[in-house]
Amino acid sequence: MNVSSKNLSFVAIMTALCVGSNYALIGVPNVKFMDLFVFVSGYLAGSLSGVAVGFLTWLVYGTLNPYGFDLPTFLTTSIGETIYGVAGGLMARSGLRLSSSSSATLMGRSYWGTSLKLGMLGFLLTFVYDLFTNVVTGIVFGIPLILWIIQGVPYTVAHEVSNFFFFLAGGNVLINAIRRIMCKGGES
Amino acid sequence: MAQKVGWMWASIGLLCISMLSISLSAYYYTEFMRYVGLYNKAQNELRKYDRYIFADILVDCGNGTKDWSNRTLVVRGADLLNATRLVSEVEYTRGVYGAFVTRINGVGGDPKTYWMWHIWNSTSSRWDAGMVACDVYILNDGDVVAWIYTRF
Repeated sequence: MNVSSKNLSFVAIMTALCVGSNYALIGVPNVKFMDLFVFVSGYLAGSLSGVAVGFLTWLVYGTLNPYGFDLPTFLTTSIGETIYGVAGGLMARSGLRLSSSSSATLMGRSYWGTSLKLGMLGFLLTFVYDLFTNVVTGIVFGIPLILWIIQGVPYTVAHEVSNFFFFLAGGNVLINAIRRIMCKGGES
Repeated sequence: MAQKVGWMWASIGLLCISMLSISLSAYYYTEFMRYVGLYNKAQNELRKYDRYIFADILVDCGNGTKDWSNRTLVVRGADLLNATRLVSEVEYTRGVYGAFVTRINGVGGDPKTYWMWHIWNSTSSRWDAGMVACDVYILNDGDVVAWIYTRF
């Protein structure tokens, strides 16, 4: 992880964005912008920055949560959230190229093609995250796993489908917008 | 290479759809099984009520006090007297023609005033006077009966 002041401030800003949006959407279970923000952080500043954003967000949101604090759940979600950051970093390194979100290409095929890929990634990552958190909490609380996973399907589907649309509609735009801000200011 | 990548993303898309379908199928299957279980349980519960009927019983004290006991669960084959005793305190005497109710919930004993029972006639939409003693009349499911403290 590049420990520059620019990178640290990026992590801090993205964490604040995640925490703020989480509290704003507290009344909507399993529908949050956080996963997209963590993925974008990883994509733009590297996997470790994404991991830091995901973990730090849960450090605040998981502790000061109106639904209560529970250590196993807190640890599981904190660790699980980092997969978005790791995946973001890996995607940037493995060459998932994003088209510009300027008006000329916004309606272009490549723009929607990339957005669709991001949407599918968001869905897959959320599936893995939900499976991981469900399995771990199921084991910790001693609940029959299959039943626990099946009973949680409405919530996981809401999480996965909402993330599909968030990544589809917001991934490309957000990455391009933040990249432009990052290029303009401070050290490179 | 580009074609390979295209197929890879198409496969990922199909994988997403499959996972969504499998999740929803599993969930709705378990929900289906749960509701089948609840349905069977409800059927078993209902079977118990084959031995019972429902009747609406009104006790009109004649002074403006009307006490309805709607949907009173009564054993099939029960007479009106026993059904009334389920919802009120009844005092009665035995006569040649059957039971004669003297007091219901402590009301009774006034000169020229008697407890008369009536049954609601849904065809003519009016109360018909009971033609037999209350312990002779066997209630039917859905009967609406009234005890009216009547002055002659």
